[in-house]
Amino acid sequence: MGAVAVAVPEEFAGGTVVREQVSLWRDSWRRFRRNRLALAASIYLTLLIAVAVVAIFWTPYSMSHLGVTDPYAGATLAHPFGGDSLGRDIISRLMIGAQVSLIVGLGTQVLVIAVGVVVGLVAGYFRGSIDGVISLVINIFYGVPDLLLALILYVILGPGIGNIIIAISATRWMDMARLVRGQALSLREREFIEAAKASGARPHRILFGHIFPNSLGPIIVQATFGIPQAILFEAFLSFLGLGVPPPTPSWGSMAGEGLKAIRFAPHIVIVPSIALSVTLLAFNFLGDGLRDAFDPRQKR
Amino acid sequence: MLTRGTLVYVSQRLVLIAFTVVAVSSLVFVGIHRLPGNAFVSERVKGAKLELLLHEYGLDRPLLVQYQEYATNALFHADLGESFVNRGLKITPLVLRELSVSAEVGGTALIVTIGLGMLLGVVAAVRQNTWVDYLLTSISVVGYSMPSFVTATFLLLVFGIWLANVTGGALEYPIGWTGTYGTLAELSVPAFALGFPFASIVARLTRASMLEVLRQDYVRTARAKGLRERVVIIRHGLRNALIPVTTILGPLVIGIVTGSVVIETIFAIPGLGKEFVESILRHDYNIVIGVFTMYAAMVGLANLAVDVAYTVIDPRIRY
Repeated sequence: MGAVAVAVPEEFAGGTVVREQVSLWRDSWRRFRRNRLALAASIYLTLLIAVAVVAIFWTPYSMSHLGVTDPYAGATLAHPFGGDSLGRDIISRLMIGAQVSLIVGLGTQVLVIAVGVVVGLVAGYFRGSIDGVISLVINIFYGVPDLLLALILYVILGPGIGNIIIAISATRWMDMARLVRGQALSLREREFIEAAKASGARPHRILFGHIFPNSLGPIIVQATFGIPQAILFEAFLSFLGLGVPPPTPSWGSMAGEGLKAIRFAPHIVIVPSIALSVTLLAFNFLGDGLRDAFDPRQKR
Repeated sequence: MLTRGTLVYVSQRLVLIAFTVVAVSSLVFVGIHRLPGNAFVSERVKGAKLELLLHEYGLDRPLLVQYQEYATNALFHADLGESFVNRGLKITPLVLRELSVSAEVGGTALIVTIGLGMLLGVVAAVRQNTWVDYLLTSISVVGYSMPSFVTATFLLLVFGIWLANVTGGALEYPIGWTGTYGTLAELSVPAFALGFPFASIVARLTRASMLEVLRQDYVRTARAKGLRERVVIIRHGLRNALIPVTTILGPLVIGIVTGSVVIETIFAIPGLGKEFVESILRHDYNIVIGVFTMYAAMVGLANLAVDVAYTVIDPRIRY
């Protein structure tokens, strides 16, 4: 192509208005900041994480110390949320409960991403019979009542927070696998993958070096929505008395114990219930915000 | 509609469901029977007496033999065995009775879910961007984030305790179940608690798809030819807006089935879900396996029924 020298005024150079270069992440952050609910949710969640970290080193009272208050004591200055049926300080237990919820929520998603991403990438990229088998397994898992399977798995695995994470992940990995599979299916047809193949990249490099980074946005959104689901599952298990082994409190088990005293000391069940609901709400707002930030076309 | 393709599809799905149920229940069977300890641990029977007891239930045989017998009985005689804790109690009739109770609660919850969800969704869509819309949308976001046991707790507080205190006991929601089946009053609160989180999801979806449909040309045509607004919204709008909503009916049924476990425990409803939890806590593993198998089959069939229902609601869908 021969360049034709024409005198163009400086501001029309290139035919378009020159705009500041913005990366995908900066662009997303700008959209995310505009969503006030999501921003409020992230502030709340940051505070919650801070509380959980503080609770590693310090709680106002010991979470398992009996009789620091009168049994069923109402709120006082020394015990802002009162005491439970055994006279344990509720705010201390609430702090440890935050720890449990966050560990289960994040731990489950780490495991779900590890399994779901690998399975989804392999199924979507290689297609054929591998995809057939994986899709069949995914469909089988979708047909099973998830909470009940998690319950039974947890009973089989035995008590412990690690086993809760495994039991919940085993029933929640399919959403991630299906999402990543879809991403891989569509990305593998794109030119940059063809270019990578032409330059001799091996499958694992294409999968983890090209397809995975390009589907990171949807994966993060999916994981954010997965966290409240995992927290909810843990709360359900603990509520039924099949969760974290006592005396470690979880919001679910605190609510379950408090329900017995609902007639005369309703604060024991109300406090953890509100903590749980607000946390789930915050994660859902955060997920909505991230989804709109990463993919503005999907905005509902 | 029922075509050859549909029949082939349905039979394929039935095979998949059967496979799923067998695979899952055998997994659970093996897993549970490998657990250390058994149902008799709490009874402090030891030595020869324990061995005699294990022999009576056939628990001293190899796992494969036990499984073979269990599967044959379950498949060909519809016999799920006996309870380990309540000696001699046959599980099949017990589970069937509890299933009917759970179906009563779950069915009512499903009506609440769909009815309330659609109503909220349609109203929010029709009044888009007014305070009504914002209020209903906020309610549904909160409802979606509130675990059913939290909803249940607050309903108990309001209807079971505060309302009774305020009215001096004139208006009181009776906590608990008096007969085998619940009366409408007894049923209402648990069904609402069970259905509300899912109603929020239905409301969100209905609102979104209603807004989409109301912008279509045929809705404008319907208005232009002078149909009353109610007819336009219900016959032209809602009917078409329902199609996306039906796609979540499957997960909805699973949600209600699993949610019933918690709700039945809270409200002391003698259904399948409560039995499931209690059997796990009592180590009555025969019941656990039986109930879980039943749940897996139910969920599979419900999902299939939903998929077949699509073809009726939307004739464009063919299998």
